[in-house]
Parts: sequence; C-alpha cells; structure tokens
Amino acid sequence: MNKRLLNTLLALLCLPLVLHATVDDALSFAYEAATPYVREGFTFREDAWGGDLGVSDKKAVAAQLFRGNDYWFCLGTDVDNAVVTVHIYDSKGKLAESKAWQKGRFAGAFVKPKQTGTYYAIIEVKSSPQERTPWALVYGYR
Amino acid sequence: MRIPIFAALAFGVASAAMAADSVPSSIDLAEFPAAAVDDVVVPVPSEIFNVLDKLGNPNWKGELRESLGRNSGNRTQIALLLGTVIAEGFIAVEAEDSERVKDIGREVLELSQAIGVQKAVVARSNAIIQKADQRDWGGVRTELDGALQDVRGAMAELNDEDLAQLVSLGGWIRGTAVLTSIVQKDYKPQRAELLHQPELLAYFDRQLDEMNPRLRKSELVTRIKSMLGEIKPLIIEGEGRKIRPESVERIHTLTSELVVQITDADA
Repeated sequence: MNKRLLNTLLALLCLPLVLHATVDDALSFAYEAATPYVREGFTFREDAWGGDLGVSDKKAVAAQLFRGNDYWFCLGTDVDNAVVTVHIYDSKGKLAESKAWQKGRFAGAFVKPKQTGTYYAIIEVKSSPQERTPWALVYGYR
Repeated sequence: MRIPIFAALAFGVASAAMAADSVPSSIDLAEFPAAAVDDVVVPVPSEIFNVLDKLGNPNWKGELRESLGRNSGNRTQIALLLGTVIAEGFIAVEAEDSERVKDIGREVLELSQAIGVQKAVVARSNAIIQKADQRDWGGVRTELDGALQDVRGAMAELNDEDLAQLVSLGGWIRGTAVLTSIVQKDYKPQRAELLHQPELLAYFDRQLDEMNPRLRKSELVTRIKSMLGEIKPLIIEGEGRKIRPESVERIHTLTSELVVQITDADA
C-alpha cells in the first residue's frame, strides 16, 4: 500500500472521531443554555440529540410530550459566530411554544403542551462561518 | 442522530433571553424529507410519572406486583424483563416502598449481568439502593432513568440495538399497564389522554419490523407486535374524539397479559 493511500485511509478513519468530538462540544453549549432551567427545577434528560447542518438547513426532532408537564428545549453549537434556532410545533404543524429565545450559538424554546402527543423541535442554522455546523439539543421537563 | 452523554456538565448561566426572530406560526411537516426527521424520542418513565404526580394520589402500593418475574435464560425475555423491572422501580418509588426499591436495584444488576451489561449499571444499582435507604425518591427516579439509559447505551455498544429496544418496550408495556390501571380506577379524559402516543407506537412497530428475523419471530416479540396493532386504533385522539373508558380497559388487559407473559416466560 503506498504512503498516500495509507494517509487517506488514516484520515478517513479519524473523521468520525473528529465529527463526534464537535457534536460533543456542541452538547456542552446546549447544557450551558439549559443551566438556568435546571435551577428552576427542570429535570434534563441524560441523553441528547445532535448532528450537523448546512446554513438554512433544517432538522426535525420528534418527541412524545405529555400535557401536565412543562418542557424547555435547549440548543447549542460550538461554532463561534454561528446563529442557531429551535422552535416547537405540534403534530399539525402549528407553532406550540409559548416562549422562545435566540442568542448566537444558543437557543431555547418553552412549551406547555395543550394536548398529549407528538411534537417537533425544528432546528435551523440561520448563519455560520462554517459549511457544516454541529448542533446538540437537550430537553428538560417539570 | 442520538448522542450519548457520559457525564453531567456544569456551566455558567446562559445569557439573558432575547426575543425570537419572526417565526412562522405554522409549517408543513410534509415538506421535511424523511432524512430530515429524527425518529420519535422515547420518553423516560419519569416524564409520565411526573404528570401522574399532579393528577391525584392513587394507591401505588396496590399497583406493585408481588413478584418481579423469573429470568428464563433467554436474552429476549431477559431484556423485556429488565424493562418491566425498571418500570416497577418507578411504581415502588411512588409507593415510597424503600425495601421494594432496594430489591429492584439488586434485580436490575442481576438481569444486567445475565445479558452482559452489568458494568454499565453497577454504580446506578448501588445509587438506587443508597437513595432508597435515604428515602430520596427524586434521586431514585433519576437513577432509574439513568439505569435505563445506561443499559441501552451498553447494549448499543455491544451492537445489541435490538435488545436495547426490547428493554424500552418492556418498560413501556409495564408502564402502560399501570397507567391504564390507575386511569380506569378514576377515569377522566385528561388522564386517559396520557395514552395518546401514536408516533411512539409507530416507532416501536418499525423497530420490531427491523429486528433480526430470529428475534422478530420469537413468541414474545410476535405477541408484542400483535398487541401494538390492537392498541394503535384505541389511542387516536383529536377533533373532539377522546380515549374512551372501554379503550383504557382494553389496553390495560392487553398490556397486563403481556407483563405476565414476560415475567413468567419459560423460554
């Protein structure tokens, strides 16, 4: 095997590790966004959702939510100067959140479900200096 | 893509909230290509018990099963049984029965050992027992949720995604059996609405379809598949339609029978 091919294979082998590391970094920012709500008594799940998106690309994360609980969805990215958003829609596509905020690499949306059922957290990268922007989403309930 | 969290992270306070930019009041979900929609997030049991806490004070002690079940040595059954035992832990927490919670903590460890993922839950099992001694019920709930996640994570690492799904299904089946028991004893549409989980059922159904054919054809999995098919039309809500008392009763019968089959399984 020639050296160039070997280097290419090694680079390809390392790629998932690099991607995983950046999503993990994004996760730390998602948790940073969630910190105030932990103090308000919200329990954040120990698992999370993530990936990477191009600018203006959207991703929907479906979640089963229960009337009677309050939920905060918090989104983060580790990319400096990126702008990401999260908004919550019900199964008919109607905006369901009662509060939402956005600040650069952080965003959050609060929903008090009017009905038990499936809701969609719509993630979007509004702008970013990078072609692909890693993101991570966590949610908590109270 | 779902990502694991390996440690709790502590950070500073997020900056003050800013108003959201213009957000469409409705969207066409059909415009999302399948690849842009993640599978439905399976709720952790605490999310449901959290709502039940607010809906009155049922006789939780009366909902506890006398036996946690029997390990038949069959991995399919053990995975389902583990899910039911973790769900039983939540009921024991609601009943504030510390001895029962401690039994469950030990049983979680034993069953995890039987399917080779005990390392992932040793700390959780010890924490469940310790927090039950301290009657720290919120803490026990957190550890039970964590045990479920850790077992699933460890199975995924062993490329046993199918078994991981069965743990979740076992928990859902036992959880639904107790939820319907409580709802039918004091029926209110708002309580019955907790059963409105169409996407979650569709997700479980898809997961069963994608399982290894050997697992898919096992008796317990076949029964679960049939049960999901029967429950699906019973939990449809909307346009003034509510989940009726007789539907709750039927779902209770179906899930309770399956709990018996899982916990008393011979193979």
